[in-house]
Amino acid sequence: MSQPSALPATDLNRRSFMTGTVSAVAAVPLLGSPAKAETAGRSDTGPREPAVTSLRINKQPYELSLDPRTSLLDALRDHAGLTGTKKGCDHGQCGACTVLVDGKRVLSCLSFAVMNGGKEVTTIEGLSSTDGVLHPMQQAFVDHDAFQCGYCTPGQIMSAIGCVNEGHAGSEDDIREFMSGNICRCAAYPNIVAAIIQARDETKGA
Amino acid sequence: MRPFVYEQPTNISAAVALASRFTNSDDAPTRANAQFIAGATNLADYMKLGVAQPDRLVDLNRLAEPALRQIRITDDGIRFGALVRMGEAADNSEVKRRYPVVAGSLKLAASGQIRNMASLAGNVLQRTRCEYFRETSWPCNKRVPGSGCAAMEGFNRQHAVLGASDACIATYHGDFAQALIALDAVVHAEGSRGARKIPFAKLHRRPGDTPHIETDLAADEIITAIEVPAIPWARRSLYLKIRDRESYAFALASAAVALDLDGDKVREARIALGGVATVPWRARTAEQALQDKALDEASAKAAAEAAFADAEPRRDNAFKIELGKRTLVRALLETRDMKV
Amino acid sequence: MDAAAPKPKENMGEPLPRIDARLKVTGQAHYPADLPTANIAYGALATSSIAKGRVTKLHLDDARAVPGLLDIVTYGDMDKFERPKFGNTGATSIGPLHDRTIFHDGQIIALAVAETFEAAEEAAQLIRADYEEEKPTASFDSPGTKTIPAAGKSPLFKEDVKAGDFEAAYAAAPVKIDQRYSTPTQHHNPIELFSTTAMWEGDRLIVHEPSQNVTGWKVELARQLKIDPARVRIVSPYIGGAFGSKGPMTTRTAIVAVAAKRLGRPVRCVTSRMQAFGTQTYRAETRHRIRIGAGKDGRITAFAHEGWEVTSRPDAYVVGGTSATGRMYDYGSVLTHVSLVQADRNTPGYMRSPPETPYVYALENAMDEMAVALGMDPVEFRRINEPKTEPIGKKPFSSRSLIQCYEQAADAFGWAKRDPKVGAMRDGDWLIGMGCATAIYPTAAAPCAARVRLTVDGGVRVQCSSHEIGTGVRTVAAQMAAERLGAGIDKVEVEMGDSSLPPAPVSGGSISTASVCSAVLKACDAIRTKLFAAATGEGSSLAGSHNEELDVRGGKIVAKSGASAKVEDVFKTMQVGAIEEYAEFAPKSATPQALKKLYAGQPEFHGGESDEESVKYAFGAEFVEVRVNSYTKEIRVPRIVGAFAAGRIMNTRTARSQLMGGMIWGIGQALHEATEVDRRYARYVNRDLQDYLVPVNADIKDLQVILVPEVDHAVNPAGVKGLGELGNVGTAAAVASAVYHATGKRIRDLPIRIEQLIT
Repeated sequence: MSQPSALPATDLNRRSFMTGTVSAVAAVPLLGSPAKAETAGRSDTGPREPAVTSLRINKQPYELSLDPRTSLLDALRDHAGLTGTKKGCDHGQCGACTVLVDGKRVLSCLSFAVMNGGKEVTTIEGLSSTDGVLHPMQQAFVDHDAFQCGYCTPGQIMSAIGCVNEGHAGSEDDIREFMSGNICRCAAYPNIVAAIIQARDETKGA
Repeated sequence: MRPFVYEQPTNISAAVALASRFTNSDDAPTRANAQFIAGATNLADYMKLGVAQPDRLVDLNRLAEPALRQIRITDDGIRFGALVRMGEAADNSEVKRRYPVVAGSLKLAASGQIRNMASLAGNVLQRTRCEYFRETSWPCNKRVPGSGCAAMEGFNRQHAVLGASDACIATYHGDFAQALIALDAVVHAEGSRGARKIPFAKLHRRPGDTPHIETDLAADEIITAIEVPAIPWARRSLYLKIRDRESYAFALASAAVALDLDGDKVREARIALGGVATVPWRARTAEQALQDKALDEASAKAAAEAAFADAEPRRDNAFKIELGKRTLVRALLETRDMKV
Repeated sequence: MDAAAPKPKENMGEPLPRIDARLKVTGQAHYPADLPTANIAYGALATSSIAKGRVTKLHLDDARAVPGLLDIVTYGDMDKFERPKFGNTGATSIGPLHDRTIFHDGQIIALAVAETFEAAEEAAQLIRADYEEEKPTASFDSPGTKTIPAAGKSPLFKEDVKAGDFEAAYAAAPVKIDQRYSTPTQHHNPIELFSTTAMWEGDRLIVHEPSQNVTGWKVELARQLKIDPARVRIVSPYIGGAFGSKGPMTTRTAIVAVAAKRLGRPVRCVTSRMQAFGTQTYRAETRHRIRIGAGKDGRITAFAHEGWEVTSRPDAYVVGGTSATGRMYDYGSVLTHVSLVQADRNTPGYMRSPPETPYVYALENAMDEMAVALGMDPVEFRRINEPKTEPIGKKPFSSRSLIQCYEQAADAFGWAKRDPKVGAMRDGDWLIGMGCATAIYPTAAAPCAARVRLTVDGGVRVQCSSHEIGTGVRTVAAQMAAERLGAGIDKVEVEMGDSSLPPAPVSGGSISTASVCSAVLKACDAIRTKLFAAATGEGSSLAGSHNEELDVRGGKIVAKSGASAKVEDVFKTMQVGAIEEYAEFAPKSATPQALKKLYAGQPEFHGGESDEESVKYAFGAEFVEVRVNSYTKEIRVPRIVGAFAAGRIMNTRTARSQLMGGMIWGIGQALHEATEVDRRYARYVNRDLQDYLVPVNADIKDLQVILVPEVDHAVNPAGVKGLGELGNVGTAAAVASAVYHATGKRIRDLPIRIEQLIT
């Protein structure tokens, strides 16, 4: 079990949620079909009813039947099978779970998945092109050894892309300040700053 | 976490109606069955910890009213829609130009990601980060009224020296609110009893005997906008935040300062203090102490003494009195020296 | 060349990018909690809210009523299994569910298992306990502590070292100091949460859990569950930061395994960050008294280091750093004593440079005080007390490049421009201070096995159960194999982190690179021997060449004469498609049982001060600049330079990163890190990353690492000294010295915070 098996693209089985066979089978990229309208008001349902949430993850439509308490982070990891996004504190204190929602970097642990109906989520798995060419930010992290254990790295990379897109990577001091929501316990900080500068300059020219 | 029903109303009156239907009119908003959620950065955290236990979440993010998402700049000032995110407001060039204290308080708060998520209204309503409040196995009057306060004689380095009561010494940790209270901002709210305006200084309540009642809002009342009046001289303003590390930490002490100067003489000063008080803290006695005085280190120190005259230290937070004074002195002098 | 990839100097390897870098930047490096498992159930812990007493009743009805709840494992359910053991592989002897006694805050009282994570969390939060509570003892100075001598309580801390007549020398010394220092409780807080995923396949148990010691855990978990170790497999391919926290197995692992057995389903339990403070180990708080006496010429004549350390009631965990501090300088006379102070706390454990971080902090802060007392430059003070042999056993150092480190770091830092007068350097409202300190870490190695296979297409596979905790051990093992077998690094694949692979020692004590590379080297050399034997056979182009004249490069066996033979052709001669060798490395001083103990998960450590012919340490010198605001007294470290010598550097890129990370850890220890204990209840207060502060990106500005060339053939066959724990030793003392230089205030209790400077 050192590598994940290919995730089967089965139809959503709502009962699978309640019977718990969640992790490996609930990933449901609905290839080619449009995402359904987001969940409507549910005043007449009980709190334990699963909520169906439609959203796009890395340009693929997903329809997930979730306990409303499910964080976007757990939805990605346990229900969509995208474990690249990491849980480091589950309380918005470390940044390891950073993803882009509609292009903006956010903490997926502090957002309930149901709040993201109809939105476009980008995770670390959605960055490199299908032919395997790394995103300039990924390549820059490799070039500058911007990690050691690698656990905070997906969050750092997503945050770094957000930081550049926001226009907050103008100077080294700006990068340090605007990347301070991503804790790296191995403390690769100087290398992370160098990587962001490289990727910023490359993408500027592109 | 307690299970909840998730609601997505599409306009303000529907949101109010939902909250109204599922809460009692005298519920404290923080203890109501139905609670509003926007950025989720504070409420989701406290729901996971079991501190907040709503059984119904009313998500405000689908409300259609465009003004909720707009920053409008007029001759009367700036009107921030309640759902504007902290990051957007901090980056707004007019906010930075007209009210450096507002932009600064937003930029120095939390992290880039949290500022992208957190709404302005939610931010001013954020609840304390007191460690004893966060962990449900401790007694806490704010979390469970009447259960006691573990912080009072416990580890209270980050706790308040101003505005505390025998029931609660938890600090209000927000930054933005200090700028708003200093500039006499006004909060627009809408609830089942209609729309109203609340002076920012009246929004938060000191803990007193009821630390679980944190604001003047009813459980079915939504903040729709925050208005900052036009103050031309607020260009001479700043937010100074002192913390243990350089970024992503709560204030040990902070000061929001705006100065109307005639040469080096103070026509009017606006001062609010963060990290040291139980609520956003306007330091009016310090403002008065500076009125018509030349602003120098001596007068700044006198104002700081006035600001902390009623401060009450506990075992681990006594340094905050001296730090708070020094923070204010430094903020005043740096504001004086701003090139505007 | 950019800063991340320093140009190799003498005895240094190329700064190759990590071979797993691509996996790490694409989210494809799978950490134990990432591995998908069909039909998984989720576990959540319930923990005690008191530190001492007994659980008289558990209220489980509310939890059982949660829809989706599958099982609750609690008192009685572990009775037929063995209790945990405290020692090299076990974090504590406290078996939390074996009886109802509560030894510490946050002790596990139940595990709730449910269909979903959300249901398990909800159920665990609904579990309530009634307690018979006793007044707990929190730490030093609390009523009810028991103080015992540390010597002999741990196999790693046998004695209080001493030399000469300290009392007489100290009494006679014209210049002396006598000061006390302290360091707080600290928690590792790796960003990866602690987790266990247990699954049974018939009578075989597979556990996915971040571990620095898969072989040791396999044996210990099998012992607790009373099954054959051969039926247990621990899988930990990538570890999201460890720093010692994932070295000893904690009590959760067996409980989750039992839950999985009862349910007949895989169970995953990810511990919350708050719960980790009570269920994992931590760095014990320490106190120190240091006395130094010296002549007016600055030569030290007397050194005494007394230490006190908090531990739990049942387990005598020893920090014990006097072995290193007692050998640091040419003291003349040495007196040391370490005491354990037992309190109602969870058992402490190893945290990055466990003994040296607190003990060298105290020594080096005292050395700076002594330099001030002597009116001497602190670098010069160290230089004149540089020893020829270590002062305890009078053994030589296998190598010691401390003075070179000081010279190179001082030069790069611009130490000569420092005005030694206190408070003399300033930039506007900011006071500037500069300080320095020595870093030291013992060089050890342990037995290790590795399997290497060379295939006819030039591919190399290395297998070893060592652990990739971020050190780059996968990469340096690949480099070693690539170099010895003449393969491109892209042709080498490395499998690690699985107890079914050849056993490796615990990845702790900075031994991994030396131990793993020595085993890989040995396996590769066995392959070379086979290749050379075949290549030099009669009639071949290399016939008659001796092995020492041969090398493998670029797919060819090359002789010094210039003659060569294609490896591919040698394989043909041998009529094989692959050559595979299994090698076992044991340090020179290993006992005859050393290899047997490796397979039993009890590796012997050799090196440091324990070898006969010499003592073995790596050294460094660190210089910091601090800035302290003259009004508000916040302290920042905008600049830090460290120079380190650690024998052969396998890869300058990964070496620099480790040292850099260590130096930043040191800054955190100086200014940020402390777990606060509520002394009334012996409970941790700031149990998350909001309140347990570590440095963030904005805290670190100008950081420079200098790798000082050093050759040391005595340490191990690879010539490698570990450096994962060297970088954060001494840093906090350098910061404390710089704060003194800026402000005139000598802070002796860590962390150094605003409140210590403002009043």
